[in-house]
Amino acid sequence: MLTAVFVIAFTAFLAPLLSRRLDDRAGWFLAIPPLLAFAWFVSCIPVIARGETIVESLTWVPALGVEVAMRLDGLSLLFALLITGIGALIVLYAGAYLSDHHHLGRFYSYLLLFMMAMLGLVLADDMIAMFVFWELTSVASFLLISFQHEKSVSRRAALQALLITGGGGLALLAGLVLLGIAGEGWRFSEIDIAAVEASTLYYGIMVLVLIGCFTKSAQVPFHLWLPNAMNAPTPVSAYLHSATMVKAGVYLLARLNPVMGGEMGWSTTLIVFGATTAIVGAVLAIRQTDLKRLLAYTTVTVLGQLTMLIGTNTTYGLQAFVLYLLAHSLYKGALFMAVGAIDHSTGTRELSRLGGLIKAMPLTGAAVALAAFSNAGLPPFFGFIAKEFAYAGLIQMGLTGWVVTIAMIVTNALLLAAAGLIFIRTFLGPQGHYPREPHEVSVPMWLGPMLLAIGGFLLGAWSHWPETWLVNAAVQAVSRGEVDVRLYLWGGVTPALITSLITVALGVVFYRFRHQVRLHIARWRVFWGVSGDLIWDRFLKRVFALATLTASGFQHGSLRLHLTLLSLVLSSVVFVSLAVGGSELFARGEYASLNVAAVMGSVLALVGAGAAAVMQGRLALVAALGASGLGLALFFLAANAPDVATTQLMVETLTVVFLAYVLRSMPALPRVVDEAAGSRVAHVLISVLFGVAVAVAVLVAVNVPLAGNIADWYVQNSYPGGKGGNVVNVILVDFRAFDTLGEIVVVALAALAAATLLGGGQLTEMTRKGEPEFDSVMLRQAVRPLAGLLVLVSLVLLWRGHNLPGGGFIGGLVAAVGFILVVVTFGNYQARALMWVRPTLLVGVGLACAVGSGFIGLLAGHDFLKGLWMFPLGLPLGTPLLFDIGVFLTVFGSVMHMMQRLAGRSA
Amino acid sequence: MEWLAALTVGGLAGIGMWLLLDRNLVRVVLGIAILGNAINLGVLTSGRFAGSDAAFVTATTVPPDPANPLPQALVLTAIVIGFGLFTFALAVLKSVRESHGITTTDRVTEVTEEAAPDVEEVGLQVHQDDADMHHEAEAPR
Repeated sequence: MLTAVFVIAFTAFLAPLLSRRLDDRAGWFLAIPPLLAFAWFVSCIPVIARGETIVESLTWVPALGVEVAMRLDGLSLLFALLITGIGALIVLYAGAYLSDHHHLGRFYSYLLLFMMAMLGLVLADDMIAMFVFWELTSVASFLLISFQHEKSVSRRAALQALLITGGGGLALLAGLVLLGIAGEGWRFSEIDIAAVEASTLYYGIMVLVLIGCFTKSAQVPFHLWLPNAMNAPTPVSAYLHSATMVKAGVYLLARLNPVMGGEMGWSTTLIVFGATTAIVGAVLAIRQTDLKRLLAYTTVTVLGQLTMLIGTNTTYGLQAFVLYLLAHSLYKGALFMAVGAIDHSTGTRELSRLGGLIKAMPLTGAAVALAAFSNAGLPPFFGFIAKEFAYAGLIQMGLTGWVVTIAMIVTNALLLAAAGLIFIRTFLGPQGHYPREPHEVSVPMWLGPMLLAIGGFLLGAWSHWPETWLVNAAVQAVSRGEVDVRLYLWGGVTPALITSLITVALGVVFYRFRHQVRLHIARWRVFWGVSGDLIWDRFLKRVFALATLTASGFQHGSLRLHLTLLSLVLSSVVFVSLAVGGSELFARGEYASLNVAAVMGSVLALVGAGAAAVMQGRLALVAALGASGLGLALFFLAANAPDVATTQLMVETLTVVFLAYVLRSMPALPRVVDEAAGSRVAHVLISVLFGVAVAVAVLVAVNVPLAGNIADWYVQNSYPGGKGGNVVNVILVDFRAFDTLGEIVVVALAALAAATLLGGGQLTEMTRKGEPEFDSVMLRQAVRPLAGLLVLVSLVLLWRGHNLPGGGFIGGLVAAVGFILVVVTFGNYQARALMWVRPTLLVGVGLACAVGSGFIGLLAGHDFLKGLWMFPLGLPLGTPLLFDIGVFLTVFGSVMHMMQRLAGRSA
Repeated sequence: MEWLAALTVGGLAGIGMWLLLDRNLVRVVLGIAILGNAINLGVLTSGRFAGSDAAFVTATTVPPDPANPLPQALVLTAIVIGFGLFTFALAVLKSVRESHGITTTDRVTEVTEEAAPDVEEVGLQVHQDDADMHHEAEAPR
């Protein structure tokens, strides 16, 4: 079972590729996995028919005891057969129906994904796994319905389906969790029925589960999405309506019937909602003139009837449920596919234009005839037996049964009339007027409907076969106790038979006088004025309005207000904790002594930043920012952090260059005093508060003695463990190399994104000349050796970095500075020529080096990124060095990639 | 030393916030850079400045009082990533200027925000279809 689900999922991923390679034949190949699954399920029939079940499970989250448990019993088997069998036919059919669609591969993918989800849903024994598959079907159906996403109607229908079924899904999740708690088990097969019935949660569970099932199975008032889903291509409709999606809700109702069905509330609710849905669906169906929409509404009717049948909980009722489910899947699948074929062949689905098609499309016509007879519930078709049992089941219930029976008679008569419309109106009678010359469709398109329709006929004519092998086991799974199953075509003159006769008579009358019936129905203007879709739209609009109203207070799109709020909250958090903590927070400080360089550094950093804050000349801004960064570098140096200082120095250099490049295309900045005085004062206040808060927070933090001795461990182990003297570098490339790997990936991604924006997304032209400001012979002559020297220095820094200040980051930055000198003086063409390869290639090679050095450790049987060393000729070579080279290349490539784009554009 | 660092961090953070609050996008980008510097210094300060020597060892000797190397390693990469972020901000600034011709923060939001999806318009279309269908249904054939 698990294999079947996995194989179909795998096929889904393979589908686009296969479809591109094999064109038209892809459908035949892609139908094989579902067909194999079907064959496997068929081979399970004898086992299940003996009353046994097949259980498989896969550990999922062992720590929480969650596993994907699958259990095949009669009900699951019936559904699994329908899903895989009809699924295989639909895949074939879709290949022909959408043969000229450019996204056919994608369509196969969605379809198979949907099949997988549906199969998982009916097989899962674990409630949570079932729910995951349940949601997957919602998502997959969203993709399928919106397949023709260029049409806004499709998008709307898909969204509607997703919102309704997804919303119901939330209720279902809550219901299932409550059920798991009340039933003391997370598997359907392990739920303690007595405990659930005794539980106070019972009615809560019932309501929540029913909302989930009713939304999925399109019961009134949630039936809206189903007819709208007709905007999907026909194979989707055929699949959604016959064996899958809408049956998921019915499946779950049936699955939970043994657990929940003991109370009258359950039965009453199901019967009331089911009967209402059936009538609404039938009345709406007869009003349709589009064949496909007509079928869609008959599906609503049948779903209502199925729900009602579960609600009866009588022996005949449950048998009828299983029979009807099977019969409906067969004929509805056939009819939808046939309607698609008609549409494909003639170019129309309007009833008023159709007629006399039997001459042009004999095979499709034959299939439709068989299916329509089953739909109409005429003997000896399977639909007849189903209907007969349904009546018997309802009559068994006594008085309420009779009331419901009347509803059933009317709906069935309407269904019969609809079946008449589908077959007689379309295929017999005078020739219709078609946009295209009708012709018989290709094999994959008539094969599906034909097989399904013949299946419906055979199952009815030889009814003992399904009785023994399928229906019995399924009914036992649905019912609360043992049920004696015996199917028959002719059971003598019973009340059920008489009701059947009335139905047929009424149906014929309905068909004969269909125009009058329609006219009468159309008179009930009050009802048609109430359009569910209109209500839905208004509802959605209100929801959006409410969302806007709620969000507009926070999502106003103003950066300054966001920042104001953020910084004020941050500041007040600090000040409040300060007020609570008091002066003790500053008491225990043991500060290191000041040194002159640090003071100079911080003065420079502050003055530079302050200048950048108030000045408006662009050059002045660049200079001020640079000075501030330099001050910081000085401070780092004074704080015994030479590597950090060097990095800061290089980055500051690059920052200045980049900033100057961008700012020169900007207009001059407005003066700071131009802003309104009020907002200026507010900003000063906010900034000062923020600054003070941050300073205080840092002071409080450093007042607490440093906990633990991590620093000491790193220093002690740097040489023995990491073979390096520069502890900072050893941490970067060995002890915490995985962090560094993540960080260089971030750098590479930021560079790719920034470069795209800088270059407008296209490859920019190479400049063969440098910037005019650098056009001096002296400078040009001096830059050449200087740039070369810088690159050389960068290599030295890289090599020695493990023991002395330097390393991949610093080396990469220094090399980039050298090349940037070349770019500004000679143009980026020259720089590119000197580099030999594209910068992005360097980034890729760099990342590959870094990851590769990790795999060496893995291959040698250690952990990922474990440092390994060897000393040929006394040279220290090791994976951390390779990693550092990776860092070097990534950083260098990233900076150069951005610089190339920046310089190329401005030429 | 620590209090000097705290003062510098606070000062830079305040200036950075002031710049971020400015209307002009160029100043906002500068604010990102300065606030980033403040935070880097803050992280380094959190490791204390107790050590009297830089954290370098040899095969045989370990300095008696080394600086804390861990925050240094963290800050080193943070500086480079901060540079990546800064260039990205610069790139956004440049492309905003090129495609909209403006550099005022709140105006950019106005110009670039798109209208809501097409729920309303499609809804109307569907009802039109329904109305057509009613007409057909009412007409006797």
